[in-house]
Amino acid sequence: MPDSMRRTKSIELRVLRYRPASDREPAFVSYVVPYSDDMSVLQALQSIKDAQDGSLSFRWSCRMAVCGSCGMMINGEPKLACNTFVRDLAGKAAVIEPLQNFPIERDLVVTVGDFVKKIESIYPYIMPKVAKPIEDGAYLQTPAQMMAYESFSDCINCMLCYAACPQFGANPDFIGPGAMAMLQRYNSDSRDGGRQLRLDQIHGEDGVWACTAVGMCSDVCPKQVDPANAVNQNKTNSALDFFLRAVRPGPRP
Amino acid sequence: MSERRPFHRPQPRYWWAHKPYLAYTLRELTGVAVALYAAILLAGLVCLWRGPQAFDVYRKILASKGSLLVHLVLLAAVLWHVITWFQILPKTMPKLILGGRLVPPRSVTAIALVLAFFCSAGLLVVVIVIGALS
Amino acid sequence: MKHVTINRSAPKRSVAPVFWLLFGAGGMLSALFGPALIILTGLMLPHGWGLPASFADFPHVLGFVRHPLGKLVVLAVIALFFWHGAERMFLTLKDMRAGPLPLLRLLTYGVAALLTLVTIALLLAIEF
Repeated sequence: MPDSMRRTKSIELRVLRYRPASDREPAFVSYVVPYSDDMSVLQALQSIKDAQDGSLSFRWSCRMAVCGSCGMMINGEPKLACNTFVRDLAGKAAVIEPLQNFPIERDLVVTVGDFVKKIESIYPYIMPKVAKPIEDGAYLQTPAQMMAYESFSDCINCMLCYAACPQFGANPDFIGPGAMAMLQRYNSDSRDGGRQLRLDQIHGEDGVWACTAVGMCSDVCPKQVDPANAVNQNKTNSALDFFLRAVRPGPRP
Repeated sequence: MSERRPFHRPQPRYWWAHKPYLAYTLRELTGVAVALYAAILLAGLVCLWRGPQAFDVYRKILASKGSLLVHLVLLAAVLWHVITWFQILPKTMPKLILGGRLVPPRSVTAIALVLAFFCSAGLLVVVIVIGALS
Repeated sequence: MKHVTINRSAPKRSVAPVFWLLFGAGGMLSALFGPALIILTGLMLPHGWGLPASFADFPHVLGFVRHPLGKLVVLAVIALFFWHGAERMFLTLKDMRAGPLPLLRLLTYGVAALLTLVTIALLLAIEF
């Protein structure tokens, strides 16, 4: 076995546990976990579940930062557990908590229903500008046209941006960075014609205007989606829409 | 299905005073410096309206060491405003594609900072030249 | 090909764009010219550094403010700088949960509006 896989060292993980059937409120539980240099925090949690406490609950799937399931707070920062390595936390006890700003369902599992509703609310699908029957072939797009929305399409819905956003922390109805990234993915797609419908969903106090450009969402994003750009360029769009709505074509707003 | 009782953790009251949000709060406070400077100008306008004696008092206060210190602090705050403003600027713009490549936000910030330097330096040069010629 | 779009009712429109544009204009003006203005009015003119001492005297400043363009410059700088500060202060006070929102709006936007009116009144009182 290569040295990097030998579990020669140990680390203390302080995990915020919460079982609604038996606990009144969350409390920290410490686990000492032997680790190897190549272990992720996700693997450390799995080893706790395997060898120490089978009741520990956490979401995970791909183990390689593409599914967005394992988001949690690691030493106070929103991170993907599969993408964070135990060797980087060594030195003192590492604090593992469920994602900030979300209600806790159980242990490291948070409530995601509202986030899903927000994604659904911004028409997360192409509404073609020009309807084209399948017989006429594919919608064509140049590399430059794809570049305009590509980074926003990289979002894995991991919600780290929501954990980082203090305005979402203050107002859970704020549509938030992730949903705005998805909105911008479609609005900047040359094939799409639903821009106005989506703008109409985010022109309120809980839409883009709850954002104060803290920018932490883009800092924590594991896929460089730059949701701060998605939200803030839509302030410009929303402001233009506010003033120009009297002159834009279409039904009266 | 086991019972659900989602637990709500309230946002810490002083989140804005701690890392990593303190930098953001300090950035926003540079807006206060901009408003304070406007207040100093407005005070001057009031004294101007009141007449030469009142304006002379204003000038004397502006020439004092206290005023010099205040203006240096305001200048430092406004310079921080300039830098952070142009760091935010690219976020309010759609993605720029030039020659088939995405323009990185750092480039927008750099170009804008150069522009700002020339605007302020230009204004100073113009006023100094007018002063020298009169 | 038939299209089915589920039309959701749109949320109530916010009036924030008005204040955001004022904030943006003031922010851009202060970012481009703020340092020069502070150096001019706060450092150079009061001490006569780099400029003739007479530039800061009553007749010269009055001459500038009496000119229509001078009035425009003074109004733009003072008003937009106040509106920029007002928006930032409102949002910061809101972050700090310093008080009920209508009160915070009055203390920030309300004061900015008042001072804008005062500036206009003064500029009109100092004739052309």
